[in-house]
Amino acid sequence: MQRAIEEAGIPTIIVAALPPVVRQNGSPRCTAPIVPMGANVGEPNNIEMQKGILKDTLKQLIEIDMPGKIIPLPYEYHAKI
Amino acid sequence: MSLTVVKGLQSEIYVPITPPPVWTPATKPLNEMVIAIATAAGVHLKSDKRFNLAGDTSFRTIPGDIPSKELMVSHGGYDNSDVNKDINCMFPIDRLRELVEEGFIKAVAPQHIGFMGGGGDVKAFIESTGPEIARILKEEGVDGVVITGG
Repeated sequence: MQRAIEEAGIPTIIVAALPPVVRQNGSPRCTAPIVPMGANVGEPNNIEMQKGILKDTLKQLIEIDMPGKIIPLPYEYHAKI
Repeated sequence: MSLTVVKGLQSEIYVPITPPPVWTPATKPLNEMVIAIATAAGVHLKSDKRFNLAGDTSFRTIPGDIPSKELMVSHGGYDNSDVNKDINCMFPIDRLRELVEEGFIKAVAPQHIGFMGGGGDVKAFIESTGPEIARILKEEGVDGVVITGG
């Protein structure tokens, strides 16, 4: 999906819980906070964390200078299961 | 002597192949960009048709001004409990609006995209669903897309 949008001429970035999968699939840009699948943008109702992840991801949309880079983000959330 | 004894020999074991790179440079500063969200998390309007949890290559458009409480998830491939508590976990539309208020980005796109990722008919996603979503976003004049999934 990301590749299709990128091919159409729009820069894209994915926030991933599983960065190795993203690498394998040829993503052009990726950020990777420490999060579980299903909460890629952070803990539910944690506005500060979600906004931080979104802002840092948007910054990397501009800053990543070559395809395939995955930037770890300093946020951590573990689902209580 | 050449080290290659048999030319064109291939492994019998299927291995994933990473496709060649794709790249569109970002040419505008963030505060001049219209941003859309595309999510593989199965997000859609509560009033919309649910995804077929056994596999679904369709997608739903989500208006940029929709209140987040009118959204829901149908996706059979991950634990939905966090996203059921707060849709922003996978579809950060409220956070995106706050970033417009802060002047961090220019605007929220008029339409966003929800689909059910995690495999299924990959060929249909690559050849049909993906290009169709890309066409909608391009026609809307979107400058950048944040994707969640994976």
